[in-house]
Amino acid sequence: MKERSPKNIFVQGPIPPAMIADSIAKHQTKYGIGAHSIFLGQVRADELTQGTVSAIEYTAHEEMALEKMHQLRESIIRVYELTCLHVYHSLGKVPAGEICLFVFTSSRNRKAAIEACSVLVEKIKSELPVWGKELCENGTTQWKVNQ
Amino acid sequence: MSLQVILYGQLTEIIGKSLTLTTVSDTDALREKLNKDYPELQCINYLIAVNKQIVQENITLPEEGIVALLPPFSGG
Repeated sequence: MKERSPKNIFVQGPIPPAMIADSIAKHQTKYGIGAHSIFLGQVRADELTQGTVSAIEYTAHEEMALEKMHQLRESIIRVYELTCLHVYHSLGKVPAGEICLFVFTSSRNRKAAIEACSVLVEKIKSELPVWGKELCENGTTQWKVNQ
Repeated sequence: MSLQVILYGQLTEIIGKSLTLTTVSDTDALREKLNKDYPELQCINYLIAVNKQIVQENITLPEEGIVALLPPFSGG
């Protein structure tokens, strides 16, 4: 199989639901796929001691993140024998209630798609150099900590 | 020697977006110098990447290049 080049995963601002629907629709002609698994990360309006979170502002070391994502992509596709894999992550400000992460795996059978999606989400959160800053309605901020 | 250090995440609020260093020899010396200049750094666990490679052990810094300081990731 030919070497894939790193794909951009970053989207400025929230990921529009229509983009997710379009992405699903694009797979209708891929007849070898029997299962899709999708993870969507949504910004929570957490109640912090200093105020309520109204948005998260994301920044990244984009070059390192894309290289890391490329390695993760290659290994996940190989290990789970995926037919397709798409990842989108927001940069910049994403208001509470909007989507900031979209991970979409497709395979012949459900187990591979589900497991690959779940493993990849964990790796994205722990291994990609991306940072979220929680912005509160009253102007205070706090750096997000992944659980 | 002229090393550019780029900061990310909460480190930008302590140090700024970047700084230039001329006198540090290795990554341990870099940590020591930064912790001394910016005492708040001592409570943040950050990784050092030299020319985009994360280094786990102490290494000699190259004559030229870019050092990135990466606080704990919090994407997603």
